[in-house]
Amino acid sequence: MSLSNLLENWSQFRHEHPNNDKPHEEYKWAMSIDLDACTGCNTCSVACYAENNLPVVGKEKFAHGQAMHWIRIERYWDEDDREFADQGAQFLPMMCQQCEAAPCETVCPVGATNHTADGLNSQIYNRCIGSRYCSANCPFKVRYFNWYNYPTTENVWPEPMQQQLNPDLTVRTKGVMEKCTFCVQRLYSAKNNARTEGRLVHDGEVQTACQQACPTNAISFGNLVDPQSKVAKQWEQQKVELAKDKQLKDAEEGGTDLRGYRILEELRPYPSVMYLERVRESAI
Amino acid sequence: MIENSFNRRDFLKVLGWGGTAVALSGCGNTSVEDGKEFVTSYSEPADYEIPSIGVYFNSTCAQCDAGCNIMGRVREGRVLKLEGNAGSSINRGKMCGLGQAGVQAHYNPDRVREPLLRNGNKGETLTWEKALSLINEKLGGVKGEEVAFLTGGISGHAKVLLNNYLEVLGSKNHYAYEAVSPGVVRAANKKAYGVEMPRLHLDKARVVVSFGADFLGAWVSPVHFSMQYGQFRKGSRPEGRGVLVQIEPKMTLTGANADHWIPIRPGTEGILALGIINALGASVPADAAAVAKDYTAERVSKDTGVPAEQVGKLAALLKERSPSLVLAGGAAEGYAHGSQNAAAIALLNQVLGNVGKTIDASDTLQFTQIAPTTGSRASLQVLNDSMAQGKVKVLFSYGANPVYTAPASMKLVENLQKVPFKVTFAHYLDETALQADLVLPLDSALEDWGTSVPEYLVDAQLSIQQPLMEKLYPNTRGIGDILLALLKQRRAEDYKAYEDFYSYLRGAMVQNKAALGGAVADDDSFWNATLSSGIVKLPSAAGSILAKVSAAAIVLPAPAAEDASYPLHLIPAVSASMRDGRHANLSWLQESPDPLTTIVWDSWVELHPKTAAKLGIVEGDILEVTSRSGSIKAQAYVFPGIHPDAISVPLGYGHEAMGRYAKGVGANVFKMLDPVMDKETGELAINETRVKVSKTGQRVIVVKDEGAAGGKQMGRKIAVKLSADEVDLSEEV
Amino acid sequence: MHRILRLSVLLVGMFAAAGSYAIDAAPSLTTADDLGPQVEQPIEFPHSRHAGLHEAADSADPSKPAKGGMEINCMYCHTYARRGMAAGIPPLRKCIGCHQSIESVKETPRIKKLFEYWETKKPVPWKKVHDLPDFVRFNHERHIQRFYFQQGKPVQEVCGYCHGDVKTMTVARRQKALSMGWCVSCHQKDHPVDATSSKTSHGPNDCFTCHK
Repeated sequence: MSLSNLLENWSQFRHEHPNNDKPHEEYKWAMSIDLDACTGCNTCSVACYAENNLPVVGKEKFAHGQAMHWIRIERYWDEDDREFADQGAQFLPMMCQQCEAAPCETVCPVGATNHTADGLNSQIYNRCIGSRYCSANCPFKVRYFNWYNYPTTENVWPEPMQQQLNPDLTVRTKGVMEKCTFCVQRLYSAKNNARTEGRLVHDGEVQTACQQACPTNAISFGNLVDPQSKVAKQWEQQKVELAKDKQLKDAEEGGTDLRGYRILEELRPYPSVMYLERVRESAI
Repeated sequence: MIENSFNRRDFLKVLGWGGTAVALSGCGNTSVEDGKEFVTSYSEPADYEIPSIGVYFNSTCAQCDAGCNIMGRVREGRVLKLEGNAGSSINRGKMCGLGQAGVQAHYNPDRVREPLLRNGNKGETLTWEKALSLINEKLGGVKGEEVAFLTGGISGHAKVLLNNYLEVLGSKNHYAYEAVSPGVVRAANKKAYGVEMPRLHLDKARVVVSFGADFLGAWVSPVHFSMQYGQFRKGSRPEGRGVLVQIEPKMTLTGANADHWIPIRPGTEGILALGIINALGASVPADAAAVAKDYTAERVSKDTGVPAEQVGKLAALLKERSPSLVLAGGAAEGYAHGSQNAAAIALLNQVLGNVGKTIDASDTLQFTQIAPTTGSRASLQVLNDSMAQGKVKVLFSYGANPVYTAPASMKLVENLQKVPFKVTFAHYLDETALQADLVLPLDSALEDWGTSVPEYLVDAQLSIQQPLMEKLYPNTRGIGDILLALLKQRRAEDYKAYEDFYSYLRGAMVQNKAALGGAVADDDSFWNATLSSGIVKLPSAAGSILAKVSAAAIVLPAPAAEDASYPLHLIPAVSASMRDGRHANLSWLQESPDPLTTIVWDSWVELHPKTAAKLGIVEGDILEVTSRSGSIKAQAYVFPGIHPDAISVPLGYGHEAMGRYAKGVGANVFKMLDPVMDKETGELAINETRVKVSKTGQRVIVVKDEGAAGGKQMGRKIAVKLSADEVDLSEEV
Repeated sequence: MHRILRLSVLLVGMFAAAGSYAIDAAPSLTTADDLGPQVEQPIEFPHSRHAGLHEAADSADPSKPAKGGMEINCMYCHTYARRGMAAGIPPLRKCIGCHQSIESVKETPRIKKLFEYWETKKPVPWKKVHDLPDFVRFNHERHIQRFYFQQGKPVQEVCGYCHGDVKTMTVARRQKALSMGWCVSCHQKDHPVDATSSKTSHGPNDCFTCHK
């Protein structure tokens, strides 16, 4: 990267907010997860393993915190010292939030993680050298490091299980970081087909693996730029804006009647995933 | 050691020089690898085979009895991933984790690949010809009534051939066994509603009160009910957002999603149901009121542990928000009086007027020969008794693993050894296959042809199962092909028109195409359309359901007495992934954390904090759980979702065979269950086992997905919950 | 003391550099002009005969018969290139489709070998000539759609830009660098969006497009 390039495009490299001056043009992939519909069944997690060549690490490595689940279901209890968990548990599907101002992107020493024009946080395996600074910076802890060479580790993909691997996607070796990509292989394939036909991707034409499998339809995914897409309508109805770290609705009257929120928004990563708060009727 | 005068500045200089020298060599284009690899080359591919583009074929999932319709993505002749079939009324394009793991069952490294003949403690491979002729030989001189065929739940054309074969042998001994099935509820439903499995409509209910029915997890048809649940929770539907109340001694996945989870003393669900009927007051029909007369709120509260005012609140809730839906699940039915519990709960539904609204009759199939045969333990008991008396000379088994799931008290292995010749059709060398004399390897569900009718019928349909790729191993065969070969041994003339099961199936379907919606089409078009959609509508008659309150004599026993030597109730838990242990060898499922505890790759014992404190147990202590019938050892996990008088251990672990991911993982609870049966149906009352718990002195670190915080948000707004009165859901998209 | 240390580290560094150069140097996979190695194929398929320029017979002069190639469009055989990410190689059926009725060459050794593969239902074990490393995925469809279908450029020019003048070769041989720098250099140029438009754009520079 030459100095003159840096100086010429300074305003592009240094701006206060990722896309204030350069909004997404055709696509901005975003997600919305309804925590009231999520039952915590873990289908999304298993579907992700199937689609994205995730290795099964086994008990010992799992104990060391080296599990590779790109989407995990977190389970929380109420913290008001009840005798029983009589309002059930809280399930939260957590995956890479594809932050617009991702804290991981700025610290990669070799630039292996960048932001794409359609709003994804990209992870380039062949560039990654394994410094793990990105996962240290991630507030959601959704980045997973390949501590071992899983393709050659016993019982990860024993013959003939390696035939199940998805050829559209790299099978990662030791020393690289990986994370949820919003099923980028499906997205780019859909964009390819759409472009061949001279159009944009329709809402619902491409689904992430987790969204496609979820039995309660808790996950909505689509293009935030398309005002007719379900995801855009949800974000708008819930008055959650991508480019704000504090939503206007939280200050206004009746704003808290709406369920949409983003996690750790105050840290200003501008995540692309909106969650809808779970609802519980306490009176019954 | 370098002397002190080597300072930092020098170090950096050295680094710089050394580094530069090496870096210079990094240039040059050495990545393009011409001429080393082969191109994927085809000889005569189908027109739709384009490299890098996947083709989708419809089939049917065989991972559980729900029988969802699936779609497999096939690339370059390999099935890679399964999705739901969007045209299915069962799962509408959705899947569950168990279904997704179907590809792992197909590509499993521990699948049996060759026919095996027992030679002492080892297996020798032999050809199919020899195996089939051995079967023929062993059947010679054996009377029809001395032959038995054990299966799991079975339906479709494989069932037809099975019945034909038994008929040809002169045997009536088809035993269908399922270790975990809603058998008691089915029988109770039949008595109360006249229908074994009525159709449930959660999406039309305003409130669902479930007595331990884990419909989001592992009960009956979880994907179907989850889909309905997604609708149920929408604030924008005409009924408004539905509320869920779950009443059970141990929190299931469904319980974790309830608006109100009510822990109840194990076994007293029926008492609570009658208490609610009592609290409904004047609106209740006379005969129901008579049954519930003595179940006042005070008495119910004393018996069940549920506060008296809660009983009144439940009654008010159900009365106010109609239509409601009340469900009876495994928790309610797993007792000697389980049928009575289920009957009381069915009565509650009828009293509330839900019949015809949220619960109605399923269709009855006209083609009864392909309708599903459901499994029961009572059936296994009959087989066990026959074997004990030496009456069984040849035993075939398919789709069941009783050596693993049957309680030790049945002495099944001992009785199996009295059978001189045992044949098992198997995917894995599981515990039952290891007892067999002959093991015949099956095609996986993704390699085989077949049809099936789901046990829980949403619409009357026949699901098509077709191979999603070529067989992985040349010597496995589909169950249909095996049965056909066996039939041809006896009735060569009758079956000679069918070269294989595929042609039999196609013939059978095409022959009936008029009834199956293909009257006008020619045979080929009909068959292709059938394979393409994967689902065929079956002719059926509308069923009828009894809405009138059936004044069944419901007699509920008092709550179980305290047992000083075995003070705790054992609740064996059925998890969505492990179920009865049939898929323990799928690594994705072992690594998928249990939703409630987040534990992986092991069993555990759930204890309430009060119970743990009383016994001085902390998380990770290895406990010995002992019943009158056996004992296991497992790690302790302190859990707020369980009744203090109970502990819970999950089923499906503790395999001694089956494969590398199953063997030796966890402990097998099935073995230690007390031989208490439901009085009416003979099903194993799995919640009746009483145990005592003692520390072994060992402690481990529990391997789980949750961190050290153990489910606390530490004051951060991570998973947020809103109260229903604070939110307006009507405008939601 | 540190002078000796610095010197020795420098020398070690230079040896390491020279050593890695040596490893790189032999055997060399590329020649100075980015030409790929000559790859031997199971059948020496003559692109020149199939795709090469045709010279009509001179009707006046019998000593000048028709010669050259049949000018078959690249995409006739290489159909997968415009339909999917991976270009693949034409299936054997494509060759047999014509050759089953071409009597004049039926007994030649290469055609006999071809039919041997066909009779035994074995696919021909072609070697990959343009073989990119596993960590990069090149999307053929996109490029053909853009340059051939949208911009309407002639097929020889479109295919030839990356593959060179294949109609003059027998078996294909890599003609261009196909390194990332080479790809990016083209991606940075502005091309008209289609044949009629004056709007231009350049190729994607988004890492994820090729490195998933």
